[in-house]
Amino acid sequence: MNTAVAKPSMQLLEGATAIAESAILAGCRFFAGYPISPFTPLLEHMSRALPENGGVCINAESEIEGANMALGAGATGAMAATGSCGQGLALMQETIAEAALNETPMVVFNLARNQQDYFQATRGGGWGDYRTIALAPKDIPEAVEHTQLLFHLSRRYRAPTLLYGDPLLAQTRVGVHLRRIEFDELPPQDWALDGTGGGTGESRQIWTWAMGKATNPGLGPDGHWQQVAAKFDRIAELEQRSEQRYAEDADTLVVSFGSAAKFIEHVVEELRAEGHRIGWFRPISLWPFPGPALAGATAGIKRVLVFELNAGQMLEDVRQYARDRDAIRFIGGVSIHESGLSYGPLLDAPEIRARILAAIAEDSTRSTS
Amino acid sequence: MTSARPAAPPAELQLLLIGIGGQGIQLIGKTLAQAATNTGKHAMLAADYGGEMRGGPSNASVVIGTEPLRSLPILPSATAAIVASHKFAGPVPQRLREGGLLLRNSSVVDSGAGREHHRVVEVPATAMATELGAPQASGFILLGAFNRLTGLVPEAELVTAMTALLPPYRAQHATKNAEALSAGAAAVAGQEAPR
Amino acid sequence: MTQELRIVPTDRPPADGKARKVADFRPSLMLGEHGLCPGCGEPVALRILLETLQDLGIVNNSIGVVGHGCYGSFVRIMDVDVLQCLHGRAPSCATGIKRMRPQTAVFTMQGDGDMVNEGLQEVLHTAARGENVTAILLNNGVFGDTGGQQTATTVLGQRTKTSIEGRDPGLHGHPIPVADLVASLDGVGYVARGAVGTAGSIARTKRMIRAAFESQLAGEGFSLVEILTMCPTGWFVGAPQGPDYLAESMEQVFPLGDLRARPKPSGAGA
Ligand SMILES: Cc1ncc(C[n+]2csc(CCOP(=O)(O)OP(=O)(O)O)c2C)c(N)n1
Ligand code: SF4
Ligand SMILES: [Mg+2]
Repeated sequence: MNTAVAKPSMQLLEGATAIAESAILAGCRFFAGYPISPFTPLLEHMSRALPENGGVCINAESEIEGANMALGAGATGAMAATGSCGQGLALMQETIAEAALNETPMVVFNLARNQQDYFQATRGGGWGDYRTIALAPKDIPEAVEHTQLLFHLSRRYRAPTLLYGDPLLAQTRVGVHLRRIEFDELPPQDWALDGTGGGTGESRQIWTWAMGKATNPGLGPDGHWQQVAAKFDRIAELEQRSEQRYAEDADTLVVSFGSAAKFIEHVVEELRAEGHRIGWFRPISLWPFPGPALAGATAGIKRVLVFELNAGQMLEDVRQYARDRDAIRFIGGVSIHESGLSYGPLLDAPEIRARILAAIAEDSTRSTS
Repeated sequence: MTSARPAAPPAELQLLLIGIGGQGIQLIGKTLAQAATNTGKHAMLAADYGGEMRGGPSNASVVIGTEPLRSLPILPSATAAIVASHKFAGPVPQRLREGGLLLRNSSVVDSGAGREHHRVVEVPATAMATELGAPQASGFILLGAFNRLTGLVPEAELVTAMTALLPPYRAQHATKNAEALSAGAAAVAGQEAPR
Repeated sequence: MTQELRIVPTDRPPADGKARKVADFRPSLMLGEHGLCPGCGEPVALRILLETLQDLGIVNNSIGVVGHGCYGSFVRIMDVDVLQCLHGRAPSCATGIKRMRPQTAVFTMQGDGDMVNEGLQEVLHTAARGENVTAILLNNGVFGDTGGQQTATTVLGQRTKTSIEGRDPGLHGHPIPVADLVASLDGVGYVARGAVGTAGSIARTKRMIRAAFESQLAGEGFSLVEILTMCPTGWFVGAPQGPDYLAESMEQVFPLGDLRARPKPSGAGA
């Protein structure tokens, strides 16, 4: 253990801090949020670090205000973000939908308490034909990358984007290398409000209804919302992300997302070492859901096990795309720590292993009887 | 889309820290993880949620390795454990692997915690800390002992990391904590694992 | 023989078809006609707001944040960069904008339903944070846009569609004097209440708007001008009766004038 090479650029950081630092590296200059566990350390870190980097962090008076502040900052073309856990994101739904429909980029961090916000992340609770790109990292190094990717995608598509994390991502400390990721060049932000349009007859407007100005009419709600819907169709095709292993050589495929997928990977490796024909599939983008990839991965699979820490939310998406709906078994469930603030006993490798083995055993007794 | 994976992942030290609030469990976990990071290793510190108030359970796990870590943030099994308080020794017997090092605070932990197939080392940490005039430093006695037993990092790295981690209003504890680290190391001298 | 006075009929175009506008009273920042009711006070407030931006020379350095109410349609005719925001949320959006563009004059335009019902906490917190933005409240005591229901500023006794026998404090509670609340907070640079019922009150209100923007440009903190506006449609009175009704009802409950003067006298040399 004494042979370590010195890697001075590696820092031991709490996940929330690593995410905040990554956001700043991505160019985030505005953050507003309202404290709630386990999101609070992200807000606290932003309040220290953003001003040092020429930015602004506001401890908003509510999640509604925090989200609208971020929307306002985003409307000027600045990289802006807000965050909370699922409880606070519930209050932000109107604003997230508004930003999607008036095409204001902003990033929303859901450092959630568990996986019960899958529907919230992928369906949303605002009005209108909008979607939200939602990425679910499996661990902190990936969350650091996703953070920068989400700022980029938000700008590229002029749409709010969402990181779906959890207490393990927020509170665990790991050694991470922070660096700025370079992406493709972004389109010019000629839409951003800077105040210079006044009196020119060409003043700018950001408006969900997009009716434009009297002298320069916009598309109006019909044309604009069709265009927005078409944009989300395009995103749905282009931005699917997933990962899989052993699907081509498996009878059993376990589908899971976020931290849970990290546990599944671990258990699957164990079971394969013991001779089980098993693999895993992980949606990285929850929306757009990587349906075609899942359809491919489930071809020839005897049983598709869905593991998530909720009553069965992603399960609906799996049902939509798995080759054989009858092959699907749900092995997840609601499991909450007694504090209510994190996962319960189900997020534990021995417990998950037992559930997978039970599902396999049940199937084989069923098929032999 | 599939990432390559080496056949046999290199060994990682997986340490369970079991105690109650007020014993400084989280701080010694941070100290160890930070010292490991400072010496170029990969480290992870996962705190158990729940009570960090005085008297409630306070558990943490620390993973250290030379390569990017693969251990889960909730450890299914561990290679070592430090048990500072008998009250909440629950998960240790089941999760500590055969042959794993079990370092016990023998001032408070009865010898029932742990099993024959563990490598048990005892240090009367609470009594020693009281003797040092620093009852808050019993955790650092255990950490000093653990580090000597495993040879994980140079002791000076623990002192550096601990000093940097202390909040300003606790800075006056740094000297005593450093003494506790040394005392713990001295208490287990000669019991290091054969290498 | 006395000469017969010629009476010009004004209820129809002159028969010779030669009538033409001799002056355009529309400020150049108005890109078109408003579509609001005859006798509505809101377009008057818009006009003096836009004139003030011109007078101060900040037309091409201003961003407006407009809420939801009849005035919402002004975003189509005001030649100013505008964010049309969610109902009640203008102060927060303005905060985000101002923090990212501190050199730009940022203002909100909200109604009483927008500011005092849906977004009361927004305006109070934004004021207490001392955000350097100017809020323009168009207070007509009703939700005009949705057809004349009771708002948090409806005066006692006022008939609305949701207080049809008149606002009764036992049933409907009391009106909230939001400008007075804001004026009582630290972090505030200037607060005033004006009206647009008469030529005199319009002129005074325009000076208030100017003071509010000057306060913002001087970095004095949050400024608010509450403007009492006529809503004959929501009040169920004829358009010509609007100003009198305003004077007899709302102005009695919400007295006009400066509620919080600027810390230093504005335009000291003048
Ligand atoms: C969240 C939300 N709730 C309700 C509405 C419907 N709505 C549109 S305008 C309005 C009332 C506006 O009243 P006020 O701000 O006083 O403006 P006025 O029309 O009187 O000028 C309401 C309730 C809305 N647009 N959004
Ligand atoms: S309803 Fe009232 S506020 Fe709306 S346009 Fe008509 S008069 Fe103006
Ligand atoms: Mg109104």
